[in-house]
Amino acid sequence: MLNVHDLCKSYGGARSRDVLRGVSLDVARGEYVAIVGESGVGKSTLLNLIAGLDTPDRGTIVLDGVELTALDDTARTLLRRSRMGFVFQAVHLLPHLTAAQNVALPLALNGTTPVAGARRVNEMLLAVGLAQAANAYPRELSGGEMQRIAIARALVHRPPLLLADEPTGNLDADSAAQVMRLMREQVKREGGAGILVTHSAAAAAGADRVLTLTADGLRPQAAQTNSDFRFA
Amino acid sequence: MPGYRLRFPQDEGSHPDFRVEWWYITGWLEEAGRPLGFQVTFFRARPELKHDNPSTFTPRQIMIAHAALSDPARGRLVHAQRAARAGFDLAGAEQERMRVWIDDWRLQRSGVSYQAQIAAPDFSFDLAFDITQPPIKQGQDGYSRKGPAPESAAYYYSIPHLKVNGTLTRGGMQRGVEGTAWMDHEWTSQYLEKDATGWDWIGINLDGGGALMAFRVRDKQGGPLWAGGALRQADGRLKVFSPEEVRFIPRREWKSARTGTNYPVSFLVRTGDREFAIEPLFDDQELDARASAGTIYWEGAVLALIGGRRAGQGYLELTGYWQRLEL
Amino acid sequence: MAISQRFLLFNALVAGPLREHPGRAALAIVAIALGVALGVAVHLVNAGAAGEFELAARRLAGEADLVVRGPRAGFDESLYPRIMRLPQVEAANPAVEAEVPLAGRDASLKIIGFDPLRAARVQPGLLPERTGLMSGLFDADAVLLSPAAAGWLGVGPGGRLDLQVGTGTVTVKVIGLLPEGAYRQRVGVMDIAAAQWRLARLGRLNRVDLRLKPGTDVEAFRRELQATLPPGVYAVTPETEAQRGASLSRAYRLNLDMLALIALFTGAFLVFSSQVLALLRRRTQFALLRVMGVTRGRLAVLLITEGAVIGVLGAALGVIAGYALAVYAVSLVGADLGAGYFRGVETSLRVDPQAFAVFFTLGVLFAALGAAAPAWEAAHRAPGRALHARDEEEGLGRLRTAWWGVAAVAAGMAVALLPAINGLPIAGYLAIALILLGVVLLMPRLAAFFLDRVPLPAPVPAAVAVAQLKATPRQTAIGAAAIVISFSLMVSMLIMVSSFRASLDTWLERMLPADLYLRTARTGETGFLTPEVQARIAATPGVARVEFLRSQNLLLQPDRPPVILLARPIEAAAADSRLPLDAPPLVPRPDEPPPVWISEVAGDLYGWRRGDRVRLPIGAAPRLYTVAGVWRDYARQSGAIVINRELYIKLTADRLANDAALWLVPGIGTTDAARALRDRTGADQNIEIATTREIRAASLRIFDRTFAVTYALEFAAVLIGLLGIGVSFSAQALARRREFGVLRHIGMSRREIGSMLGCGGALTAGLGVISGLVTGWGVSLILIHVVNRQSFRWSMELTMPWLPLAGLAALIIAAAAATAAWSGRAAMRDDVIRAVREDW
Repeated sequence: MLNVHDLCKSYGGARSRDVLRGVSLDVARGEYVAIVGESGVGKSTLLNLIAGLDTPDRGTIVLDGVELTALDDTARTLLRRSRMGFVFQAVHLLPHLTAAQNVALPLALNGTTPVAGARRVNEMLLAVGLAQAANAYPRELSGGEMQRIAIARALVHRPPLLLADEPTGNLDADSAAQVMRLMREQVKREGGAGILVTHSAAAAAGADRVLTLTADGLRPQAAQTNSDFRFA
Repeated sequence: MPGYRLRFPQDEGSHPDFRVEWWYITGWLEEAGRPLGFQVTFFRARPELKHDNPSTFTPRQIMIAHAALSDPARGRLVHAQRAARAGFDLAGAEQERMRVWIDDWRLQRSGVSYQAQIAAPDFSFDLAFDITQPPIKQGQDGYSRKGPAPESAAYYYSIPHLKVNGTLTRGGMQRGVEGTAWMDHEWTSQYLEKDATGWDWIGINLDGGGALMAFRVRDKQGGPLWAGGALRQADGRLKVFSPEEVRFIPRREWKSARTGTNYPVSFLVRTGDREFAIEPLFDDQELDARASAGTIYWEGAVLALIGGRRAGQGYLELTGYWQRLEL
Repeated sequence: MAISQRFLLFNALVAGPLREHPGRAALAIVAIALGVALGVAVHLVNAGAAGEFELAARRLAGEADLVVRGPRAGFDESLYPRIMRLPQVEAANPAVEAEVPLAGRDASLKIIGFDPLRAARVQPGLLPERTGLMSGLFDADAVLLSPAAAGWLGVGPGGRLDLQVGTGTVTVKVIGLLPEGAYRQRVGVMDIAAAQWRLARLGRLNRVDLRLKPGTDVEAFRRELQATLPPGVYAVTPETEAQRGASLSRAYRLNLDMLALIALFTGAFLVFSSQVLALLRRRTQFALLRVMGVTRGRLAVLLITEGAVIGVLGAALGVIAGYALAVYAVSLVGADLGAGYFRGVETSLRVDPQAFAVFFTLGVLFAALGAAAPAWEAAHRAPGRALHARDEEEGLGRLRTAWWGVAAVAAGMAVALLPAINGLPIAGYLAIALILLGVVLLMPRLAAFFLDRVPLPAPVPAAVAVAQLKATPRQTAIGAAAIVISFSLMVSMLIMVSSFRASLDTWLERMLPADLYLRTARTGETGFLTPEVQARIAATPGVARVEFLRSQNLLLQPDRPPVILLARPIEAAAADSRLPLDAPPLVPRPDEPPPVWISEVAGDLYGWRRGDRVRLPIGAAPRLYTVAGVWRDYARQSGAIVINRELYIKLTADRLANDAALWLVPGIGTTDAARALRDRTGADQNIEIATTREIRAASLRIFDRTFAVTYALEFAAVLIGLLGIGVSFSAQALARRREFGVLRHIGMSRREIGSMLGCGGALTAGLGVISGLVTGWGVSLILIHVVNRQSFRWSMELTMPWLPLAGLAALIIAAAAATAAWSGRAAMRDDVIRAVREDW
């Protein structure tokens, strides 16, 4: 479903450096992939390129047969709007929209009618266990609750691809585990694929496949270490 | 009009048909035993008007008055001036009798004396001048030429040895004063010639009753253009001098720090066979009359000396040293 | 280490933020600078002109202790010797004084005819330097010009000047100039006799300047003298004399000063709105500093310092710009700023350190005050909460203002009912300030009320925008308040000016019923129509009817400008057909005093009402008249009195006229009639003939010119308001960069985010515009019924200029939307994607 081939990206400026060099990645439908790596290795850059928020210097990204790298910003935006969902490390709910409004936003952007949208929003709020918080503003929610709302918002429009960037970075262990479980559950339930970027082995543990991003590219993680975390 | 005969007292009054006229009293007072010069002058001028303006304010006659005190203790003149157009009975000069006035300043004949009342910010006086001698008709029986051109002349008579008494107020203090004075009265339509810049004049009451008047009109180079004078002895004999008989020989100059003007304040005046040294009571007797008559001149009390000894006292007038005198 | 600590804190709290957002700081500085510049410029120009006016009057009075002054027609010259003989009088100088129209020019020159000999003791400074000129002045054709007049006329010594007297021309010779510096204004000096004769003033004087004997009690003597003066003639001190001229323009000058202050106030509000939002964004920093031990007071002081720094920079810039602006304005429209108060006054703008200091201080103070409220809020927040708080709106929760707002508006309305203070509409302005303040304080409540009723629109960007505004009524209120302030002022001025213009137009129609008007000169006092000329005009073929009008003036109070006396044909029963009376005309019974009709201004100034009996010095002896009506008059600001001309002639024997109103025989064209009139009067260049339409057009043109400066100041206030919108939107946009990043992730395009912001801007502006319209309408009522009435004593009907208002509203909303969209674009120019990952 997602084919990333030979992606290179460097940032200019006085301290020019290569961030990604020849990164390739294939993700199948229904697959939940974790990418781990040290800080600064380019995890977020990779995610931005996949999301079409940035353009690579070289290489191709193909999503469901559409080559992202050949599209202009508007087309990429429309693609992102309909086919991707995002969860960030910091909680990025729009502060002046209620929980339900935040969740409804992607639906609205994709032209879903308000009535149909409302049902779907309720469904998602129920799914993340926050139906009672529909009319709460973000400031009235805890960190974990906010991130659950963010997951609902990321999946509400059934995107084929969920992109998550350190979604549990700011959360305590219990909340983190709950959010990770929920995210995996929801991706699986909606039948989409998920890419999770994290530097936390614990967070990566729930993934179908864990890849390590190094300066030389992506490579699969040793099964042994993997299994260690699986039972952790 | 040399043939005109002066009439008294009618000719003491104004002669409005003439362009310029003045009544001019100078003299020495004694105030608390100290000498003090004074002068009071009323001018009448008739401007040349092109139009017969019906306005009451039309300046057919202009009256100007000066009054000054020469106090050696002060070292310079104290003076005041007034100018006004004749009219509204506020200023004027009467015909046929002597009465000239500007506001509350006046000079007039009253019986056998003249009276002058002057009230200025710095001083005021109220003086009576008793007539002790008949007038001296100057020049040719009162017709005094002022230059080589025969029409340049004035009617002119003097009354010397006026006996003064009255009051003088200075610094809020009123004192009785007495002294002797000299009066000139002149009227003319053409006084100075084109070439003339000003004149030097003395009027001296000689001790013993004689009276000396001498003047010279200067040209642009400062040399004499004309001169004249008369000496009347105490017994009444009158000697009128021809222009050649009168000479003014400057002896000393004084320069005014205020105006930068040089005045020959000391003269040797030769009339006929007599020679008088003229010495000022003090040097700074310059009078700034720009606000009324439009000129600056020197007008001061002087002593006349013969052979270094006092022969009389009077006044010296020096005009046209600042700028050419325009009447 | 104290210095270094201070340095660090200053850097962190004052210099750093200013450096970080130089654009926003620059906008705030520009706003303050604009306000200060306007204040300085208006003050300099006004003070210059008014100062010159007073100086001129003082110079004219010279060393006089008292001035005896009569109306335009003057008083009998016999008064002069009578005064002169009073024992207390040291010296006196009689004078005639007139504004004399210059033949062939649409201008007049003040000519003073005095006695140069008497002047030596009363006004020595006015005497010509060269003594020859003094006697030259006795020539009845001679005039001396002030250097200013000579320069203005382009005539030097030896030149000639054509004066208009009656319908004829008098040519005078310029024999010289007054000493440089003796009198800075345009003036011609003649001998009194020449002036009396040439200006047709024989036997009359307008003034006598007196010097009193030392030690005289001036006031006691003044009273004693006053008792002996003829009616309408006053003995005044030169101070009163100097103030009288300037008093006419006092209210106008105050109004301009107020407008400039309003611009400054708007600038201060802008500093407030930009600071409020900027400080909210930085509140976690403050919390950190508080945690680290910076005291509350210290923090507040530093934050206020930030505003003060903006104030210092802006005020310094403003003082310089203001001086430049003043110089430019004077060169462009003249010292009167186009209002006609100081016509012909030569102004020299002086560098006025005191005024500079005042406006500089005001600028700094306003900017610091703008920063004070948010600084106080920031400093008083519990640091623990602030560190974790996530929402700016919460910070604004403290600004609980609605009750204060209601109180301020109510107080404003109450204050508006107060009478003028010292002849100036201080209370009116205070009322306006209170109402504006109240509305600003009410804005959060109004915004919430208004936004609650706005439905969520269908397009997502718009919906997000609306939802955002609904959730943040206080922030919205701050953005909208900047618009409310500037827009409401604009609206009120627009309503006031258009009401005035419409009322003027209607009034002109009432006042100009005839077909043609003939007058002797547009300006000046010595033009007139003799009875012979009047007869010739009446007998001109094509003229069906003619009415002649004589214009004179009366001094009713020594400290006020004279009231205009208009003698014209008018009958008591039908007075309302001649004058725009405010009530049916009163017809006095035969045993009652004869009628006069007073203008509103005269009524206000002297406290007269319809039906009153008033004593007026018309003719030789003053007598009683019945006020038979009050009429509206926009032309004569010092008041006017209309009297029947036949009665006037009987009282004064003055058969001259200044104007003629002509009704033509049907079928006669105005052009033909005008030509015939010119032929008949034989005074081609000295009469002016105009149709009603031409006069109306000219009057409205003058009106527009008068308000040009007002418009300019208003425009500046709106400009500052728009700057304010820009500042507050860009501050908000910066604060919301992370949000934009999220929206970009979710799949909103830049354009959609732009339109979202534009929508928010438009809505905010819409809120501001609606509130501004209502507030502006209220303020315009105060301007019309309080400020204008108290300043100029003109009443007018309210006329709403709907079309310009709608256009202006649309313009402001569009500008706000564009600014908001632009500021969003500017905020997104950096990598908003990264912003998502910034932690706070």
